[in-house]
Amino acid sequence: MFAKEMVKQSLPLLILCGLGGIVAGSTLGVMIDLIEKIPGLIVVIPAIIAMRGNISTAFGSRLGSAYHLGIIDADNMWNEELKQNIFGSLLLSFLISIIIGILAFITTVIFFSPSLNLRLFALKLISIVLIAGAISALILTFLTILIIYLVFKRGYDPDNITGPALATFGDIITILCIFGSAFLVEAVL
Amino acid sequence: MIYDWKKIVKHGLPLLTLFVFIEIFAGQILQGEQDTLVKLPIFLISIPVINGVGGNLGSVLGARIASGLHVGYIDIDLKDKTMRVNLLTSILIGIVLYFVLAILIYLVVLFSSTQVGIVPMKFISIVLGTGILLVCVISLASIITAFWSFKKGLDPDDTVAPVVTTIGDTLGIIFLFAFIGVVGI
Repeated sequence: MFAKEMVKQSLPLLILCGLGGIVAGSTLGVMIDLIEKIPGLIVVIPAIIAMRGNISTAFGSRLGSAYHLGIIDADNMWNEELKQNIFGSLLLSFLISIIIGILAFITTVIFFSPSLNLRLFALKLISIVLIAGAISALILTFLTILIIYLVFKRGYDPDNITGPALATFGDIITILCIFGSAFLVEAVL
Repeated sequence: MIYDWKKIVKHGLPLLTLFVFIEIFAGQILQGEQDTLVKLPIFLISIPVINGVGGNLGSVLGARIASGLHVGYIDIDLKDKTMRVNLLTSILIGIVLYFVLAILIYLVVLFSSTQVGIVPMKFISIVLGTGILLVCVISLASIITAFWSFKKGLDPDDTVAPVVTTIGDTLGIIFLFAFIGVVGI
């Protein structure tokens, strides 16, 4: 009986996530020229996606708990609790982005010793991660609040909706942000 | 006020830094195999799918085990019957899902401007092999993490998802290149 219930309730969402994965992967496929051109770019992709997933899912589940605790609801969303959560998540994204950029730079230099201007390379890589991290953080924070608001309005349990919704859209949005910022940085620097 | 940005950053930073270290390692494997990915972008397209499905399956299983432990219908015992039924279901769903998605990816690439460069049988065997191995390892990791957390007095709901997605990302990439090596391209 447990098995049937698991198949029935989770399979549609898992299929949706798989389809979202194909869209995310196809975006990566389009990026292939940029990946060839910028060493270290492919290194940061799993890390940025994982950071985004972890921070926004935690943000979403905290807002879910806040709802169950009666701290926020549809009529009382924009309060101090929400602001603290937003600021904490954004600052965390900023710090982790810097760590990802530095780690990707150091490990790429150690493992592949690319014959590049190292300062320019470090600047490029760290800027790409920071811009992608910041923009995806802003978009996903906004999206989470929007999802939570709609969920509250309809009286659903946010715990059942925000996680899978963020998992599906989060990867696609994050990869698009990496693509955009790599394109921008490559054009400017 | 129960939320404080300082606490959010302080609690999140150590664990996230650790995960980022592991993910950078996964990224370096991708960089090492970049030639294969450039020659056959179909595998680059498959990576988010393989990792995403693995992580999600592991998280769903972990959440179910966590609820079972909290409510009391699952015991911390590797022989527990309910746990085993859940484990088996998770692996079966994984096999079916990876098979269907492998075919879908192949079709998407076939009808796009990207060159496929590999016969369907080989591609599907590689993705299916990677998926089956990954879902078995992730499901076990999910159960062990849930049991271990519960024993330590931690809430498995907080621990399983990040642990399982990080393991999924790293092992997904390692298994994929292992199967590419075994099957040949």
